[in-house]
Amino acid sequence: MQPKVLIIDDEADVIKYLTVVLKSNGFLPYSISSVKNAKAEVEKINPDLICLDIMMPEETGLSFYAKLKRDNNYRDIPVIIISGVVQAGEFDFQSYLSDNSMPPPDHFLEKPINVEEFICTINKLIKTGSSSKSGGDA
Amino acid sequence: MKSNNRISPPRRLTDMIFRELYHQVPFNVAVIDRNYNVVDANKNFTEYFGNWKNKKCYAVYKKLKKPCKDCPSIEVFKKGKPIVADAVGIDQHGRKTHYVGHVFPLRTKEGGPVDYALEMTSTVTETDRWQQEYQILFDRVPCYITVIGEDYRIVRANEAFRNNFGEVLGQHCYKVYKRRTTKCPNCPAAKTFRDGRVHHSTQSGIGKRGQDIHYGVSTSPLMRGNDNIAHVIEISNDITALKKLEHQVIEAERLGAVGQTVAGLAHSIKNILMGLEGGKYIVSLGLNKNDKEMISEGWEMLERNFEKTTSLVKDFLSFSKGRLPQLKMIKPGFLVKEIVDLYKDIAAQSGIELKSEIDKNVKKAPLDPDGIHTCLTNLVSNAIDACIMGKQKGTEVNIKVSEGRDKLIFEVSDNGSGIDYEIKKKIFTTFFTTKGGEGTGLGLLTTRKIVQEHGGKILVDSEKGSGARFRMEFPRKRLMALYKEMK
Repeated sequence: MQPKVLIIDDEADVIKYLTVVLKSNGFLPYSISSVKNAKAEVEKINPDLICLDIMMPEETGLSFYAKLKRDNNYRDIPVIIISGVVQAGEFDFQSYLSDNSMPPPDHFLEKPINVEEFICTINKLIKTGSSSKSGGDA
Repeated sequence: MKSNNRISPPRRLTDMIFRELYHQVPFNVAVIDRNYNVVDANKNFTEYFGNWKNKKCYAVYKKLKKPCKDCPSIEVFKKGKPIVADAVGIDQHGRKTHYVGHVFPLRTKEGGPVDYALEMTSTVTETDRWQQEYQILFDRVPCYITVIGEDYRIVRANEAFRNNFGEVLGQHCYKVYKRRTTKCPNCPAAKTFRDGRVHHSTQSGIGKRGQDIHYGVSTSPLMRGNDNIAHVIEISNDITALKKLEHQVIEAERLGAVGQTVAGLAHSIKNILMGLEGGKYIVSLGLNKNDKEMISEGWEMLERNFEKTTSLVKDFLSFSKGRLPQLKMIKPGFLVKEIVDLYKDIAAQSGIELKSEIDKNVKKAPLDPDGIHTCLTNLVSNAIDACIMGKQKGTEVNIKVSEGRDKLIFEVSDNGSGIDYEIKKKIFTTFFTTKGGEGTGLGLLTTRKIVQEHGGKILVDSEKGSGARFRMEFPRKRLMALYKEMK
């Protein structure tokens, strides 16, 4: 069975790009362009992994992330943050969410992504599951 | 003639008048003989110096046992002419007193030798004390004080000034402060000489070692009664350290702004690169699979992102242009009407109602029409986008112009998607877009820049899901000051 990956990004081109990459690498991609109905989409699809953008209209990706991690039914879904806001090495999760109990995202990728690294990370995370499940760091 | 009929008062009456005057005049009056004896004194003198009977004048005035070396009466006895002198004595309570005296010669026989000296003294202790206090204040205040004549020469300078600039009395102020040979073009003292008012300014001078020194200068007129201004008091402070600090703060802010701008630019470029990479990937995959539809999809993506690069560069260049607002006296409502005409159809096509509200009390204002047009365009197009993204029915955008307390207010509000708090924090400081492929993220930054160039500020009030209200406030006083400055 193909692993399901949900892309949450407001940029149509990003969705298109990731969809093609995921499809051609044996994943089943789903997408949604805003956080507004993302929770319903998660409940409907029950994805194996989520690719999440930070800066989006209405609600940021991080506030959705916090909601997801507070929900016992979905907190184990691995999340990769894909954003152009900061450089990969400088992503300080705690400076964005003032909640120390919140587990950091499983991985952070900087736009534009490296396809090989992207696929490799997804494979690894789907195999091991979210770090928040085991309590380890990304 | 009637005056010849004037009757002289009897001698007794004249004596009475003189006696009364002698005691009531506001001076201490004493009569001294050649042997320093006080032979008579009026009431004031007695009240001030105490018992004088059978005492020598030096004992009464100064509680001394020998005659004073600089005795003014001896001079009068010798020369037979009145003199004015000042001295320091001790009153009957032992307090030191400073007095000024007029000493007149008294002769019992006309043309004869001087028999007595009539001393009329008045104490100036209080005046003297005030003068001393004033002098201390003048010298010790932690700023430079000079009195400048109409020829711009320094006629007085306080201790702080003398310590820093040396003995400069008689020199031109411009030479001392700035080592100039001619009057300074923006001289604050000249303004005070001209209009008699106090003027404040910041001036740059040259220090002893040739270093730049900045002064905060105040000039005030010095005149007596209704006379012309003969002198100007110039008070200055060395604000070099403050200027340095100010410069450092501005520099830090500038570097911070540069950092933020570069970070914002990098963010926008990264998004475009992601689109270009995506396009390239899809074209390449389509070629491998010989899938024409996929190739065409990837190609469109490439084209879109090349276009985005062009608009980003254009916007960025327009943002980075340093430009002073070109103020013109215009009706603010006119600008609102222009924007409504421009966006009415675009809004209607998306099912959005574009409304305007022009307050009747709004007066003409000095504004840069192009600048404010850009601000309103940015805010209205953002509001329309927010309504489209909200995907609700019955959405509307309202543009309002009104007169607040001494300020002109433009407001653009919508009932669209609203702004998340985390985004609101960054909205005016970093530039980024949440509009997917549509924006470059510079609109609000440019808007803020134009508003600030007008001396105004921009505020945002928004709750997620319930629309946003952007408010541009322009204080009337600042607008007028800018307008005058520009003229």
